[in-house]
Amino acid sequence: MFRFHSQIDRIVEAYIGEYASGKSELAINRALELKQQEHRVVLVDLDTVEPFYTLRPLKRLLEEKGLEVIGLSSEDAFGLGETGAMLTPQARWALWREGDIILDVGYGVMGAQTLNLVEGAYESPHLRILAVINALRPMTNSQDRIVEYLHNLGRVDAVIANSHLGDETDAELVLNANRIVFSVAQQMGLPVDYVAVDEKLRDEVPGERFPVPVKYIKRYMPGAMWK
Amino acid sequence: MTVSPAVPKSWYLPSKPHKFCPGCGHGIVLKALGEVIDELNIQDKTIFGCDIGCSLLSWNFFNCDSTQTHHGRTTPVMVGIKRSRPELVTIGYMGDGGGYSIGSQHLLNAAVRNEKVTLILVNNTNYGMTGGQMAPTTLPGQKTETTPYGRDTDVTGYPTKGPEFLNALTQDDAYIARATVSNYRQLKRFIKNALRNQIEGHGFSFVEVLSTCPTNWRTNAQQTLHFLEDEMEKYFPVGELKNPLGKGDK
Amino acid sequence: MQATIGESKKAFMTGNEIVTWAALAAGAEVMFGYPITPQNEVMHYWTRLAPKYGREFLQTEDEISAGFTVCGAVQAGKKAFTATAGPGNVLMQEPFGMAEAMRLPLVAIIQQRGGPSSGTVVYSQQEVTLTTFGGNGEGNRMVYSTATHQEIFDYVIKGFNVAWKYRFPTFILGDGYQAKMREPLTIYEPQDRGIEMVSPYPLIGKAGSIGVDREAEHLCNIYSLEEELYDVVLQHAEDYERIAPEIIEYEEKECEDADILIISHGVVSRAADDAVKALRAQGIKAGYFRPITLRPFPQQQLRDAIAKSGAKKMLVAESAYGQLYRLIRQEIYGETIPIEGLFMPGVGIIDYDIMNKVKSIL
Repeated sequence: MFRFHSQIDRIVEAYIGEYASGKSELAINRALELKQQEHRVVLVDLDTVEPFYTLRPLKRLLEEKGLEVIGLSSEDAFGLGETGAMLTPQARWALWREGDIILDVGYGVMGAQTLNLVEGAYESPHLRILAVINALRPMTNSQDRIVEYLHNLGRVDAVIANSHLGDETDAELVLNANRIVFSVAQQMGLPVDYVAVDEKLRDEVPGERFPVPVKYIKRYMPGAMWK
Repeated sequence: MTVSPAVPKSWYLPSKPHKFCPGCGHGIVLKALGEVIDELNIQDKTIFGCDIGCSLLSWNFFNCDSTQTHHGRTTPVMVGIKRSRPELVTIGYMGDGGGYSIGSQHLLNAAVRNEKVTLILVNNTNYGMTGGQMAPTTLPGQKTETTPYGRDTDVTGYPTKGPEFLNALTQDDAYIARATVSNYRQLKRFIKNALRNQIEGHGFSFVEVLSTCPTNWRTNAQQTLHFLEDEMEKYFPVGELKNPLGKGDK
Repeated sequence: MQATIGESKKAFMTGNEIVTWAALAAGAEVMFGYPITPQNEVMHYWTRLAPKYGREFLQTEDEISAGFTVCGAVQAGKKAFTATAGPGNVLMQEPFGMAEAMRLPLVAIIQQRGGPSSGTVVYSQQEVTLTTFGGNGEGNRMVYSTATHQEIFDYVIKGFNVAWKYRFPTFILGDGYQAKMREPLTIYEPQDRGIEMVSPYPLIGKAGSIGVDREAEHLCNIYSLEEELYDVVLQHAEDYERIAPEIIEYEEKECEDADILIISHGVVSRAADDAVKALRAQGIKAGYFRPITLRPFPQQQLRDAIAKSGAKKMLVAESAYGQLYRLIRQEIYGETIPIEGLFMPGVGIIDYDIMNKVKSIL
């Protein structure tokens, strides 16, 4: 099948995980990180359970920052009486675009099966499915629960440790809560791609505290609610 | 050689491309309905009413007078319109949740009273727009957001067979059928019969259409068709259950 | 009943999920529900968790049915609840009325969305009138309007207790923002906080042989004679008024010397709180008053705040076109303080909206 040159060596990452685990936040940050490295980046909102509460209010802001964003904007939402659980054709064919592709996959009982909706996702040699885990969420707050949860997701290529309490996060908590994520990853033989830490804690949580890279995250999603 | 236009005349073009998900069956049903409206030349006297849910996305689909109703209330609104203005052709468009759950008492009683409206109900085995919950038509064992361990028939009973129960409630002048988006010609014929049955003054007319919801099923194209043709059509038999127009009218 | 939370801990969740965990912790045994945004995740999480803790769920055919199945379950002695929003809240007024009439300990979580009718699925505070005084009754309901995720957890637990203790239908009034927002809170087993959960008990189907151990129960909500109904309604009103002081909750800040009192409820009170602080920093003496219970309403406490502050004006800020405003006016009838409104139906209110309004009316 015909492919652009830039599709041969590129990054395709799908962020999946529990409701409110931080998928959208990390997907946005990852997309912006790649943008800063002068990649061409497409960010795809694949939240089919409740797209009305995710990237929609931030779409314009992210586009201003140079991202190509596939997802509903507020204007497109006219006529959607309920949540607006739907998929756009652009999202279905997202992998046909040039550049790096970051997929923000919503939660739901079907887990990673949502990627069935993206043409060519499973055939893509680049696809990495990253499960975002916040061990301070009750559904994923113990080793057993996280293992059970990850088993239900289907294919997962790596996990991202994203344990936090929003504004009440501190350094101790980041270090302690993410320990469970590391032991789960070890038990299941999965790599931990990175630990996500609020950039406000940059000085208190230095990178060398973890055996994997630490990414300092700017929080965009709190702004999604009040616009 | 002339090529018939791909877009029905009765479609409202500024609302196209439509907003249904890729692979959704609604577009097929509404295309068939649009072609039937054209063929019967009823655009000017059609009142199209839609429910809440994905069927709501059809609100400005047609260049016909249209009205959006409320959760499950499309049937009584269409009945009110038809009884006030019998010369109008009223089409109620709803999903399985709106028709068989929250609006079931209206559907049942409209059928019993032989209301001369045409109702088209799209069955995709789940509540699409609220995010994929169980519907009355969810198949046994099927996973949805409110049946995370699969539909347990001991708890929730078996899927609603709408045309069958409406068939039992209605007399010979009603039209009752089940179509599928996998058979377009038949679907269009059933919708045409359902509208003719209203226009010719016979009585209550109902078509359930088996349709697809890849977004909430999380299926690719192949899996979507497989679910429709091998799972749904096995459980929900397709065909006309009652047709007062007679065999010659097909 | 099996412990659900275990040791008290901090957690990061959305409001809808919290409802589920709080209901589990409160010992709720069954939920009846019907899909409507923005409360769906209450059902999504209840259906995931309930089987793990031996609890039950039924998705009914509509909200009328969800409300009446709760009415049936609580009569049978089960701690039952439902959750709904907007048009679903409208449909549930019929079962809510029955719960009022028969003094059933029904618990409902309401996540307000825009109205009237289908409205929007996002957010509003337009279900105040409906939730406090809906139906063909006298508004004998207990309605808690929450403002934070911690409060959602605390008041859902409390809601089950007051419902079973006082036997009036009980509502936790949230909204689409609170339902979907995510923030940290502390979750706990009620008994670890010294909260004793009221045990449910059957109203019908009690133990023992009829005629031997007990008489048969005959429950009803319809009466033959006007006088019979009159006596029942007066008795309910008397009970309600008697217990009201035990139920009423409110929050008050900086009212002692305020020139202007800002009244709000629910999530808007977070903006009001910020606005009062900012106005004070600018030298404007603003005070904050928030009814936590909208029914029964802290009317004496509000009158006291008006009296002690000597405020010249009152501002009611709400994401509705005057529903709280009308409630307040009827509750503090006779007060002469001028009342202004900041009415933003179906949209969020931030501190600047309130500050600008205050400056324009002072």
